[in-house]
Amino acid sequence: MKQLLEWLHARTGYRDAAHVMLDEPLPPGTGWFFTLGSVLLALLSIQLLSGAFLTLYYAATPDHAYDSVRFISGFSAGRVLRGLHHYGASFIIVAMAAHMLRVIAFGSYKPPRELTWLSGLALLGLILAFSLTGYLLPWDQRAYWATVVTINISKLTPLAGEVVAAVLRGGTTIGALTLTRWYGAHVIFLPAALVLLVAGHLVLMRRQGISGPARPREGTPSPFYPTQAARDVTVVLAVLIALTVFAWHGAPGLEGPADPTDASYIPRPEWYFLGLFQLLKYFPGKWEVVGAMGIPGVAAAFLALLPWIDRVPDRRPQYRRLVLTAVLVGFAGVVTLTTLGWRDRPASAASRDGWSLREIGGRTFAQKHRCARCHSDTGIADPLEGLPSTHGPEWIAGHIADPDMIAPGLREAPTIVHEREAAAIVAYARRAARQPYPGYPAPVEAAAAIFARHCIGCHKIEGDGGTDGPDLTHAGKKHDAAALRKWIYDPEEVKPDTDMPSFGDRLTSEQLDTISAYLAGRK
Amino acid sequence: MSSITTPEPAGSRRRALIVFVNTALALVGGAFTALAGAFALRPPGAAAAGRWVRAGTTDDLKPDEPVARVLAVSRVDGWYRERARQTVFLVWDGEKQIRALSATCTHLGCQVQWDAKGKKFRCPCHGGVYAADGRVLEGPPPRPLDTIEARIDPADTSVLVRL
Repeated sequence: MKQLLEWLHARTGYRDAAHVMLDEPLPPGTGWFFTLGSVLLALLSIQLLSGAFLTLYYAATPDHAYDSVRFISGFSAGRVLRGLHHYGASFIIVAMAAHMLRVIAFGSYKPPRELTWLSGLALLGLILAFSLTGYLLPWDQRAYWATVVTINISKLTPLAGEVVAAVLRGGTTIGALTLTRWYGAHVIFLPAALVLLVAGHLVLMRRQGISGPARPREGTPSPFYPTQAARDVTVVLAVLIALTVFAWHGAPGLEGPADPTDASYIPRPEWYFLGLFQLLKYFPGKWEVVGAMGIPGVAAAFLALLPWIDRVPDRRPQYRRLVLTAVLVGFAGVVTLTTLGWRDRPASAASRDGWSLREIGGRTFAQKHRCARCHSDTGIADPLEGLPSTHGPEWIAGHIADPDMIAPGLREAPTIVHEREAAAIVAYARRAARQPYPGYPAPVEAAAAIFARHCIGCHKIEGDGGTDGPDLTHAGKKHDAAALRKWIYDPEEVKPDTDMPSFGDRLTSEQLDTISAYLAGRK
Repeated sequence: MSSITTPEPAGSRRRALIVFVNTALALVGGAFTALAGAFALRPPGAAAAGRWVRAGTTDDLKPDEPVARVLAVSRVDGWYRERARQTVFLVWDGEKQIRALSATCTHLGCQVQWDAKGKKFRCPCHGGVYAADGRVLEGPPPRPLDTIEARIDPADTSVLVRL
């Protein structure tokens, strides 16, 4: 073994390299505060490695991205690896803030280390770009809508807003071209830039030496290895264990697949962008650009100019009260805004446990149009209930309308499906994919089919439907079944100037009974 | 206040620190390698349970005459769901027995065709010939055509094949 190492050293000189790497002379008094850079290096390595492995299964297309991420989350090693990558991003933000505050507190950016400081700030920007681009990749609702917001904010860029937005978007809308573009940035361009910048940051750090305690102590420098290395490794180990606990227990969520037509979704960014998100709320209208670009821009410029603003040569805090106060106020502002943003979560549309009438009606239409001939246990397609469909509503609508779309020649054309019935089947298919049919009494099913076919264009029940006519959620409060039946049969007889058409000739007598009894029951 | 830092910790302390640092790094590296290995060598998901697929009714079949049916099967390949087509030959005895033979030659996987005149399956690739019941008559195939589970639904004489 010893001979082999000798042989290797004679040819590679690896011991010299190890000497250069490990025996960096550190000023006396270098301690635990100087371990944060190593923590960042470790976390970035974890991101780089876990990210590289995630590409084994990830597919960056709108049709498959969501499925592939769900697939990764479907087995334990995948869940943990994705967890490491997901929470690792948050850990990096925290470690980066800590590292930066340490550098500011110790005045480490002072000459001759201004460029080390600036390269660190560039790394901060790069890491935020990683977060932004990585966020889109799962292609779920959260990813999609957060990206919509990001791209709309980018339009506020003075003079070049539309250009910036177009560059970010890739195509005319947020879609396939956006996804591949952000994926390319996330896995090729940004990592390449990151590796170069980190290397530059480290080379500068080694060239200037680390700054050491704010008040230089006397004594001889000591090598990095093993004393400081042991401190670094201790902190790194603690952080990595915490990260593993997160990854192990809290599998990162995956919401429903991205649905650009879903108007009810309320986007929220990842927690470290909440401060910025909250800031925008205070700058309405034309002042928005102040919150989106002005204040963050001023903060960034202040940080970049710190070595030239804070010119006292002494690095001890008591000589730099003004600068440190400004930084602390700024940091407190970020924390406050983030907390406010965290708390200020709009009551999201309460998750409906019950099915909407459209969904219930869609089930009836699906049976009527014999979807189950193919979508059954013995058919050529999976049964609708529990079928994990990641197709958008447009796709499903097209599938219902066009018999050849999926399997040419394999099925007969369905009878022509009325557009409202098709819409109801789409709603049903999407709901059924997530939740088995809970079962409703036959009169409700019958009424739902009538409502979803004839009434829903103008009337709303529980938030779903048109707005030309009154909301019928509580129709039974004012009218009884007989009055409702009479009204539906011929509205003009009750009220001559009404806009509502007559349904006496469109609904059978039995259907009229069913729907009016159902509506009367809605108190 | 002047604290004196020893340039290098002495003997046993230094050794202990080295052991600690190297062990910790090895553990982190080993743990990640194990995780990444498990991730890359993901255990294959349980094979999708066979599904009974309808393949027409016996009205379309002639006794003892293999008839080709192209059936669509849904296959799951990791996160990718596809609908693949598969040809099977249905051989009906004219009463209650039905056999389904895979059209894939057992030699190198070409698709065999039914030679109605010669009453034989012929493989277009390397001259494999099978009898109507799938036995090898000539050529290189190592074993008979694979049989696929099939039954007749007594209710409506439709043929069900398990794919």
